[in-house]
Amino acid sequence: MALTRRELLKKGLLSICGTLIPLSAFELLKPDAMASLIHPYSKKKRWAFTVDTTKCMGCGMCVKACKLENEIPFEAEVQRTWVERYVQTKKGEVIIDSPRGARYGFTKNDPQGKNIPEEEITKGFFVPKLCNHCEKPSCVQVCPVGATYKTEDGVVLVDRKWCIGCGYCINNCPYFARFFHPVHNVAEKCTWCYHRINKGMNTACADSCAFGVRKIGRLNDSESEVHKIITTKRVAVLKPEFGNEPHVFYIGLDHIVR
Amino acid sequence: MSHAWRPLFVIIAVVIIIFTARIIIVPSDFEATNGDYKYQWHRVSSEQDWKDFPVKHKGREFCEQCHDEMTATVKGSGHTNVQCESCHVQFNPDKKGHPIDLKEDFDYLLEIGIDRSRALCKRCHTKLVYRPIPKIYIKNRESYEDMKLVDPTEHNPGIECIECHDVHRTEFK
Amino acid sequence: MTEGHVHGELWTIKELFTYPNEYIYWTVHIAVYPYITGLVAGAFVLSSLYHVLGKEELRPVAKFSLIFSFALLLIAPTPLLFHLTQPFRGYHTILTPHFYSAIAAFNLVYLSYMAIVAAEIWFAFRKFIVEQSESQTGFKRLIYKVLTLGSTDVSEKALHLDEKMIKILAAIGIPAAALLHGYVGFIFGSVKTVPLWKTPLMPFIFLMSAVISGIAVCIFTYIIGMKFAKKFICTATIRSMCNALVFFLVIAFLLEIIDIVFHAYTAEEFWGILSQVLFDRFAVKIIVIQWGLGMILPLILLILPRVDTLRAFIAASLVLMGVFMMRWDVVIGGQSMSRSFAGFMEYNLPIIPNSVEAFKEGLVAVIILLSAPFIILYFMNKIFPVFSEVFNEDDCRILTEEEKKVH
Repeated sequence: MALTRRELLKKGLLSICGTLIPLSAFELLKPDAMASLIHPYSKKKRWAFTVDTTKCMGCGMCVKACKLENEIPFEAEVQRTWVERYVQTKKGEVIIDSPRGARYGFTKNDPQGKNIPEEEITKGFFVPKLCNHCEKPSCVQVCPVGATYKTEDGVVLVDRKWCIGCGYCINNCPYFARFFHPVHNVAEKCTWCYHRINKGMNTACADSCAFGVRKIGRLNDSESEVHKIITTKRVAVLKPEFGNEPHVFYIGLDHIVR
Repeated sequence: MSHAWRPLFVIIAVVIIIFTARIIIVPSDFEATNGDYKYQWHRVSSEQDWKDFPVKHKGREFCEQCHDEMTATVKGSGHTNVQCESCHVQFNPDKKGHPIDLKEDFDYLLEIGIDRSRALCKRCHTKLVYRPIPKIYIKNRESYEDMKLVDPTEHNPGIECIECHDVHRTEFK
Repeated sequence: MTEGHVHGELWTIKELFTYPNEYIYWTVHIAVYPYITGLVAGAFVLSSLYHVLGKEELRPVAKFSLIFSFALLLIAPTPLLFHLTQPFRGYHTILTPHFYSAIAAFNLVYLSYMAIVAAEIWFAFRKFIVEQSESQTGFKRLIYKVLTLGSTDVSEKALHLDEKMIKILAAIGIPAAALLHGYVGFIFGSVKTVPLWKTPLMPFIFLMSAVISGIAVCIFTYIIGMKFAKKFICTATIRSMCNALVFFLVIAFLLEIIDIVFHAYTAEEFWGILSQVLFDRFAVKIIVIQWGLGMILPLILLILPRVDTLRAFIAASLVLMGVFMMRWDVVIGGQSMSRSFAGFMEYNLPIIPNSVEAFKEGLVAVIILLSAPFIILYFMNKIFPVFSEVFNEDDCRILTEEEKKVH
């Protein structure tokens, strides 16, 4: 009697433990899943973004447009996209800043509020930043509740109704593209204007850029401009060492860019 | 039956309560799409939530519906690549104001107004040593021209830019 | 036009270049959380030393450390709830766990560990519960009746089985305690964007500092509790705890040092900014308080011959402070260097609770959370008297003489 009961309990416990972990957790072991690890750029539809830093004027119109389009309180010191200024002096000193995320643009030669004489500056440029919508987003991997995810076309989104606000994803983003939304109090990030690109429109930032710095398109569509840039020009990504496979490709990146 | 099993019954009861709660509360469309539990474990309808997010910046085509003369002028000017919304969308409430209520009539959610400040022009036209100077084809003048960058501390400080410049035609008034 | 507030702006001061969205998002509660979890693990290990290894001189603190471990365990996840920006959605971690996340399994590890501790308490106090359910009256009788779980068997055979179950649970409990806390270390160690955290040693560093803090808090509370109740304190018990403390202190210190030495030697891209944090910005906190006062000084105090109650008490208090400082340095220090490696952030703990956020993430909440286990212990002591098996002078003398014989 005692033995059968024990057996029953054992089996019961095992099945409980089994159901605790969704079966799909083991999907990685399937051959298909393994294959997709080896060939990450399959023929599937995938969005990608390019930024030509050599053309960026640092006007910050993209930041303004993004904030208004995506309802991030304008004066709040968090943004889905921002522009950084890099200035290197003759002494080799690198000064980086992004005053107010550049939503009012750069209208003065005052990196970090310092007055650097023009003749001291050897090079300088602007680097727009946004979420890189990685192929292997570490922020998604660490979400404990499944409130952030990668869509089939490669866009990383946050479920505002399910996010618990632990901040684990924010700390796991190498680019600090995430923050807490000041009003909704959940993790917030660039969506590549998912509501616009799905209607065939440009992202708000790309639309508002007068200098053609930002472009969004299909990575595998040979007609798209993004595809042409990535396949024909020398492009680089930010912080590839983290292994996230970021999908914002930069033209004119420099080693001083963080 | 030994009393030693009793704590286990309590544990099993707790586990059953948790699983019942799970079945009731978790949205039915919560799944790992494509079996990708690592990156696609989510509430599927959340994707639709984001697709339904309202579009706010509607671009030059939207303005063209009424202001076709003005948009034609801008298209032929040096500001051909500049969206109307870059200058006309206001985050500052005292500068907003449009003769007809765009929200009511056109479902246009942004505040439209006119910002005549020098600060706005300075965002693109301040000369900085590290700022590139693009060449732009201006249709009205049929020529490629360098973008005009000035040092705002020397270029007529204290005067509003629009005193002399017509920003839509990119010519002097 | 600003609506709401930017989470993190209240307590973060930025210097030089930090990313615009960069704030200290993990604040004091993320330091308090591993601190309390560590105390749980340590206190449990101490009680297991008696049950599994049969260290007779630890009998006076065995039940106490078990109950205290449970009291701490009840509070362990509450700092996380204070930390969440959506605390009322905290249960989502049970509903839709995503086990690729290092924190999703927390519920699983936490609840199973709690089950082990609760079951062990039940077996340890079963005889007492059954007796009380018959002798008590009114509400207390009801509580004990429920706690018997319907079993009133206190025969010799049943009590013998209880002993056996306690031993088994205590033995399972040690790896479970190690798992619980090693796991907390893994949560930090796996954050690949923070150079100070990203080391495979993290789980072991956390585990060892957990054990020392747990033993220290037991020494601390035992001495205070006994003084408070005006009962006899057995020096043999104190010495035994101190010996365990010394052993784990040495390991903990070596692990922490080797981590830093390794970073310095390999000198990766981030070493420049990391060394500035270690030797400049956090020099007093890490080198003086965490290592000097929190580890080396107590080690000296305990190694010197003839440890008495006062010296043990001072050493235990120093260790408790040092381990808290270590949690603080890891959590705050790790985030204080900008992920751009070109700037710093300073953290200012909100002290005056003049807004919801200043209360929730501030000093007041921390004080509430850190005193809660002691309050729970006070009430649990009413139901499960933890010092029922305290030694008197004679028991202690016998033990002390035995101890002398061995040496």
